[in-house]
Amino acid sequence: MLEVTLAHHFSDFSLELELASRGPALGIFGASGSGKTTLLHAIAGLFRPEQGRIAVAERVVFARPGGVWVPPERRRLALVTQDPLLFPHRSVRGNLAFAPGAGERLDAPAGRRILEVLRIAPLLERRIDNLSGGERQRVAIGRALLADPSLLLLDEPTSALDAELSRDVLGLLMQVKQTLQVPMIFVTHRASELLALADDCAVLEAGRVVAQGLPVEVLKRPRALGLASLVGVDNLLRVPVVGHDESGGVTLLGLGSGVTLAAPLCGAAIGSPVEVGFYADEVLICLEKPAGISARNALACDVVAIDRVGHEVLVGLQIGETRIRARITPAAARELALETGRRVVALVKTSAIHRLD
Amino acid sequence: MTSDAEWAVILLSIRVAAGAVALSLVPGIAAGWLLARWDHPLRALVQGLVMLPLVLPPVVTGYLLLFVLGRSRPFGQAWHAWTGGHIAYTTTACVIAAAVVGFPLLVEAIRLSMLGVDRRLEQISRSLGRGPLDTFFRVTLPLSLPGVASGAVLAFARALGEFGATIVLAGNVAGETRTIPVAVYTLLNVRDGEAAAMRLVAVSVALALAALLASFWLSARKRSA
Repeated sequence: MLEVTLAHHFSDFSLELELASRGPALGIFGASGSGKTTLLHAIAGLFRPEQGRIAVAERVVFARPGGVWVPPERRRLALVTQDPLLFPHRSVRGNLAFAPGAGERLDAPAGRRILEVLRIAPLLERRIDNLSGGERQRVAIGRALLADPSLLLLDEPTSALDAELSRDVLGLLMQVKQTLQVPMIFVTHRASELLALADDCAVLEAGRVVAQGLPVEVLKRPRALGLASLVGVDNLLRVPVVGHDESGGVTLLGLGSGVTLAAPLCGAAIGSPVEVGFYADEVLICLEKPAGISARNALACDVVAIDRVGHEVLVGLQIGETRIRARITPAAARELALETGRRVVALVKTSAIHRLD
Repeated sequence: MTSDAEWAVILLSIRVAAGAVALSLVPGIAAGWLLARWDHPLRALVQGLVMLPLVLPPVVTGYLLLFVLGRSRPFGQAWHAWTGGHIAYTTTACVIAAAVVGFPLLVEAIRLSMLGVDRRLEQISRSLGRGPLDTFFRVTLPLSLPGVASGAVLAFARALGEFGATIVLAGNVAGETRTIPVAVYTLLNVRDGEAAAMRLVAVSVALALAALLASFWLSARKRSA
């Protein structure tokens, strides 16, 4: 699907990488400044590197030396960016029908299918300044798909959205991949997106590919894991199995100091380390341990950090020797009068915990 | 009240100003786009040349135009051989003089509004399969129309007031090159001309004000659209 070798030197940064992937969904993962957007722009034809060769779907679109340069409009790679970048002078329909042939495609069955998957049919006649952030991004994805690209390029398509909307858009992209069968290359700094969407993933660090493979394999490596917890907000843990409860359907994982976490039953040997992950918004915070609940994990912990990010609050919780994060609303943080040092109880449903390896 | 001769002057002025805008609109859009989007060391030089009529004394601009277009000059002679007519001292000369002098105002307004168009929108357009020219007509130009309109109105107003280059290149031919400023100058030099001059001055002020209000209205309308 993709073969890239390229070298380019900026005044403060250099990009030197080699990457080949069969896709169909390649995730490019890295912190900001690692060169992921530059790489995506080079593939799209919006940036011309000093040296290299890029082949997309078996077709060479760039070679230097070699003198091959296919301009962006003839690469058939539609780009979706973090900011939806809809054309402000056009309606939703005008945006969707922008690409050559997109107007006819829009009214054909294939186009209807795209509108249906993205739930944008009811928005067609709206003006774009009346759309919400999530709606805008859906229209941007629809506009790109209606260009009939051989490959979709996504540059952090969910990072301008709040947690709920970004999960919604992620779900749509999973459907785009599965039901519309459009291959894609997407850039992200969220481990959860990589796990959900990518068949293959490459980790970029300072302009170089430092790891590549299946997302679960790549995220397993300590180096990549460090990177994920550095830039992501989700909980990725590498902890030992301390016991299985087959009738109860859970595997107990040791969090240190005798505290255990109940995860879905797995076959890993006792004592061996496993990697698990769960969303920060799957963690509930209570001031006291509630009685009679279904959640298997009610863990006493200390609040060690409170960070406000936009309309969300990320709460760092120390459980035994493990630190996790919970995502709650500012209103909830106020009502609970959370402050660092406070002793609280974290509730996590067993089914929210996913094994990554 | 306003006499037929005065009406002829006013209508000629409007015709000349409209002709000047029509003549400079396409080159003005091209120059504005070039100056907004062309990354090249020569851009500063091109920008300087485009802006030159703004700072040169209009009489000098007129003389330079006469130097090229004059009846005894090679271009003027070639034009005569080709069309049988002349440029200098005709209404066409008024239009050219007004167009050249108003050009920097037109280009600057267009350049600034094109600079305000998010380049990422142009990149998205390219990645969706639209080539550079298509992208220009579908994204860049529509989004900079308020600037084009206000630049055109400013150039129109400037053309109405053009005197220095006009008097040199087009002279003072009643009914043909005697625009409002030239007529006012002429009237002030004749006995009892002051009343007529004042009427033309009033018309001049009204036209200029109307043009400015139109430009404000246009840009406000574009913003809310």
